[in-house]
Amino acid sequence: MSAKEHETEAMSELTLGKLDRDGAIREAVAHVSGDTRARFLGKAVVGGAALLGALTAPSVAAATAASDVAILNYALTLEYLQAAFYTEAERLGAIGGNLKQIPRQLGAVERAHVAAIKAALGRAAVRRPAFDFHGVTEDQTKFLKTAVAFEDLGAAAYKAQAARIKSAAILAAAISIHSVEARHAAWMRFLAGVTPAASAFDQGKPISEVKAIVASTHFVVANPKIASRTNPKYKG
Amino acid sequence: MSEARAPVDDHGGSDFDELELGIVAARADDSDASSRADFVARAVIASGALAAGGLLVTGFPRLAASAPSAAQDKNILDFALLLEYIEAGFYAEAFAKGKLSGELGDYVSIVRLHEQAHVAFLKSALGKEARKKPKLSFGETTSDPAKFTAAAIALEETMIGAYNGQAANLTKPTLAAAAKIVSVEARHAGWIRAIAGKNPAPNATDKPQTATQVQGAVNRTGFLQSS
Repeated sequence: MSAKEHETEAMSELTLGKLDRDGAIREAVAHVSGDTRARFLGKAVVGGAALLGALTAPSVAAATAASDVAILNYALTLEYLQAAFYTEAERLGAIGGNLKQIPRQLGAVERAHVAAIKAALGRAAVRRPAFDFHGVTEDQTKFLKTAVAFEDLGAAAYKAQAARIKSAAILAAAISIHSVEARHAAWMRFLAGVTPAASAFDQGKPISEVKAIVASTHFVVANPKIASRTNPKYKG
Repeated sequence: MSEARAPVDDHGGSDFDELELGIVAARADDSDASSRADFVARAVIASGALAAGGLLVTGFPRLAASAPSAAQDKNILDFALLLEYIEAGFYAEAFAKGKLSGELGDYVSIVRLHEQAHVAFLKSALGKEARKKPKLSFGETTSDPAKFTAAAIALEETMIGAYNGQAANLTKPTLAAAAKIVSVEARHAGWIRAIAGKNPAPNATDKPQTATQVQGAVNRTGFLQSS
């Protein structure tokens, strides 16, 4: 199975880069992202209903190592990306067939991750970037390929950070999200007809590599420059 | 989740098992209403895997969560090795019996190799201190598709909870290695659940399990005849 293993391993690397993207779609980013954001926040509350208690928790940031805050913010950025992707797909309603429930099911989980990490970071949380998925959220095939790539990437990103986390509690939370990303990766691969678990040991990806892969998608169209600590909180 | 205590408690791990970020038990989907531990018990019992005469294991290492150390790493890895022996034995027997076909057959033929590799890795890490392979008995769970599926889900999810539960007790280099294994167990869990038509990821997090909880789950399977 080594040839097949090679092929499926390579797939996650290639899909994001290979997604055809003409770059012409840059329409009304502000409008789209504004709409998505409002809905996203609304959904986050629903999806993370069990977490409302955690949302009111005092921020851990003050007592947390700067490196842990940086890792959580890095994780938050990836969760924003995943959550926005599934949430937009659910809103557009174009994904059907055997994937019909995926945007709702995975969106709820990724929004719960966003809500929990934001709650843990409190005022130290980075703001959500603006995203443009270039139609991928309404194309069945591209949606699934991107989901495979995102979930493999999410698992690899958390894995590479696990041993860098100083706080035992943050590690416990991060590692318990990490394995859910891996479940998602297996799930999406199963739906895509590729081996859900391609090797006996999953490799992590360092931050630089993950950021390069995310950048190659052009899904992130604007990174907020100002941290939420110097801005009023979103009041909906 | 009434306890909204933030994880400001950052010292050592003496109370690690009690720590929660408030998200570890977060539920993203209400399709699965009971705890993971209960689920494991139910799945194994439903699978008929609760073999009469299975050894009740009391000889598990004490995994007191003190500050990570090389000695503690060995205890934890040896515990992990016992679990991997059970998984590897389970899939090896299912593969040898050859009663599973289609998607289950594909699953067994690939996953058995992963578990073998995990056993080999842990044995090599532990060297001469590695425990011996236990005596195992799987009954019909390695031949009956429904019983196999239920037992595989239970085993894989026990593994996830076990590794996640020990993460903060390991030294960083050992944690880095364990993290490469736990996500593969999670992929197996997602895969077998997908084959079974169950939600592959019913919760937003995979709650860490204490060694005691894992021990209980293993005991309920009845798979272990000696340790």
